[in-house]
Amino acid sequence: MEVLQYIVRKLIAGIPLVLGVTLISFVLIVYFGPDKTYELLGKNPTAEEIAEIRSQLGYDQPFTTRYLDYLREVIRLEFGNSESTDEKVSSILARTIPTSLALAIPGFILGNLLGVMLALVAAYFRGYWIDKFIMGFAAVGMSISFLIAIIGFQILLSSSDGLDLLPVRGWDTSTPLQYIRYVTVPTLATVFVALGYNTRFYRAVIVEEMTRDHVRTARAFGVPPAQLFYRNILKNSMIPIVTRIMFSIPVIVISGSLLLESYFGIPGVGKVTYDAIVTGDQPILKAVVVLTAVLFVVAQLLADICYRIVDPRVSLK
Amino acid sequence: MDSAPTSLDPVRASTLYANQLVVNLYDTLYAYKYLQRPYKLRPNLAAAMPKISPDGLTYSIPVKKGVYFADDPAFPGGKGRELTAGDFVYSLKRHFDPSTRPGGAWLWQGRIVGLDEWKQAGSDYSQEVPGLRAIDSHLVQLTLQRPYPQLVDTLALGFSGVVPREAVEYYGREFSINPVGSGPFRLVSYDSSRAVLVPQENYRREPVDLEYEGYDPVTQSRYGVALIDGRIPPFVDRLEVNFIKEGSARWSSFTKSNEIQYAGLPNEQVERVLASIDPVTLKPEYAEKYHMKTALEAGFVYSTFNMDFPEFGYNDNPERARRNHALRCAMIRGFDWESRNESWYSGIGEVFPGIIPPVVPEFDPGLARDSVTYDPEGARALLAEHGWNAESLPVLTYGTTPGPTSRLFFEQFRAWMMRIGYPKDKIILKTYATFGDIVKAWRNSELPFISKGWGLDYPDAENTLQLFYGPNASPGSNDGNYRNPEYDELYRRAGVMLPSPERTELYRRMNQMMIDDCVAITGLSRVGITLWHRNVIALPDRNFVGGRFMYYVDVLEPGAPELEALR
Repeated sequence: MEVLQYIVRKLIAGIPLVLGVTLISFVLIVYFGPDKTYELLGKNPTAEEIAEIRSQLGYDQPFTTRYLDYLREVIRLEFGNSESTDEKVSSILARTIPTSLALAIPGFILGNLLGVMLALVAAYFRGYWIDKFIMGFAAVGMSISFLIAIIGFQILLSSSDGLDLLPVRGWDTSTPLQYIRYVTVPTLATVFVALGYNTRFYRAVIVEEMTRDHVRTARAFGVPPAQLFYRNILKNSMIPIVTRIMFSIPVIVISGSLLLESYFGIPGVGKVTYDAIVTGDQPILKAVVVLTAVLFVVAQLLADICYRIVDPRVSLK
Repeated sequence: MDSAPTSLDPVRASTLYANQLVVNLYDTLYAYKYLQRPYKLRPNLAAAMPKISPDGLTYSIPVKKGVYFADDPAFPGGKGRELTAGDFVYSLKRHFDPSTRPGGAWLWQGRIVGLDEWKQAGSDYSQEVPGLRAIDSHLVQLTLQRPYPQLVDTLALGFSGVVPREAVEYYGREFSINPVGSGPFRLVSYDSSRAVLVPQENYRREPVDLEYEGYDPVTQSRYGVALIDGRIPPFVDRLEVNFIKEGSARWSSFTKSNEIQYAGLPNEQVERVLASIDPVTLKPEYAEKYHMKTALEAGFVYSTFNMDFPEFGYNDNPERARRNHALRCAMIRGFDWESRNESWYSGIGEVFPGIIPPVVPEFDPGLARDSVTYDPEGARALLAEHGWNAESLPVLTYGTTPGPTSRLFFEQFRAWMMRIGYPKDKIILKTYATFGDIVKAWRNSELPFISKGWGLDYPDAENTLQLFYGPNASPGSNDGNYRNPEYDELYRRAGVMLPSPERTELYRRMNQMMIDDCVAITGLSRVGITLWHRNVIALPDRNFVGGRFMYYVDVLEPGAPELEALR
């Protein structure tokens, strides 16, 4: 009951946040975003045609009217059609978000899981060669740009100049085997780059926890290393780890990965969002902004609940 | 393709990318012959070439009988119905209905009797347009306000694809992603990465007559296109069009044996793949695996001064106007086209003077090349002669979009101008966040200097000469706001003439005027290099024909005896 009350309270408290985000974003979209008019016009437009398009796009309406229309759309969860493709925004998101999730989840899970594991090893052997080796590897991963990693893995594993084992591009989830064939190279590129950041972050968190008084005391009492790591260090390190993971989720759900999607020809939400930003496709941008804001509210809520699970001292009041 | 089309609705087929798909999904009354060059029109959906009245104002076009739209839920029982002349009339009217956000209305504006008035009256489809009528179920009649010799060319563009009204109403705005046409293919799936097409079951069975299509055995036999003679296209079971912007991904996919089979050669692979540039030849290891074709683009890149800026263009003070003319001419002389060609187009682009590019029949190969000859000394002398110096030269704002290539274009331009005496701090870069933003600046006459490319819509120099026609000034296509009454008069005179030596002479006079007035730094037509796997029987060409060559593509099994015979 306490958790339910907390959820309701947090969701209500999230409304001003969502409103604030929509207002600021809408100001940026309207006053600083690209003007879609000139992409929709023909090669030799007349002033009359320019006025017609501007009117259809609603550019001739006052800001307040347009913002109130936006809020009505948010309440109805109906954002109309893309100004570029004319497809319904809801259909676009319903089609592309699952694709982006299917693309990102393996890399996200592996990147975090391996990051925690390597961080534990590095922290345990802090100052030894194994720690230096892992941190060196992490630095390499952090130093190499995502783009280089993508092209490198693509050439190495997929191209005829490399091992030619997997497809260069495309997306097929019709069978688990096909899914694995298409998701492997993007996942390897993601893990390669994300692992460095994750490992360094988690190692720092764990090392800090290892220097706490209760850990030193437990060690002095002869608590076995595995038990010490699991009960006294990892569990107490979970709050920053949970925070990092939870707040990555909205980014994965809604942003996708533009680079992965472009280079591997994957029809996800990242490319749709990018195209909407650079072409000023306002219906898509409005939907993405709201969805991102709502997801952050939900992520914050889930993070708070997870804090309580990993540390019963945390109060939900 | 290196980009995805945003809409597959013919009224919005403004881009090369959209045209590639639209002409395969929809029928146009006319089409360019597959293999004949220079380009020549032939009937497609039309049963014959139009019957034109002696005054050149009335076009009677018979439409083929027995042509059916693809099966689709939009039709009763899901069965595609027969296409009629009324469908063409409806499709053309849509360009004058603002709710469709059309991109091609300019092709027919002020041309067809009653069409502009129909729009002014509210675009009511139940109202007839006197100049656009279906005389019976299979005869279209177009009546023009004045002769329009390019009319038939416009009826071969993706813009004039014929759509069924039921489907437009059934899908509403989403008709743009649910194409229902009578073309050789129908769409199975379409997203930002790929479009998948399959043969349209109701498509008419017309065997290929290679001779009629303009087959030239001397230059074309090596591509194996003779193998399709007498057969009924489309030949492929499935056509996948991938949209790949990234050159490295496109190349990696192309060089695999089981992914994309046709692609443009990315610039970064030119040195690796080509054995020589002049002539363009492949290294043996690539020639063994791939066919290659070079094609001069139907268009060009150029820069124009905005004549509405008194610092560079028209000026009320006659003396300043004269000095501005000298300034523009000096800048033209200071522009190094050969260097630009070498730097960005592998040195294989074709530099030409004026605005009649080499791809059109009116091109004059003997035209003096002074306006494209790099002459920094001459430019400096001209500036000095007219009293220009570092202090008096006006500030030039150079607009561009973000990106390293755009930036390097600017730096190269600025370096050339500095060589003729322009101070570095007087050539200012203004970066626009998106292409749409810079187009807005052009349309609103906000920049004194405009660099852009133009793709021709049909093979007639009228399409480029209109870029400097006074009434097309901003927000129209005449971004330079060039207004020369003599030029405009010639344009109007030529505009009603059929192709003839007299018309070509008028075109060339206009071209010379534009050169003499030093309005633009022009131009260069790029040369694209396309490669395709040896087992693919095709002769690709994106110019004018759009993606129509895909209708004729056949794919043989690797190692097929026919392929061996071609070697």
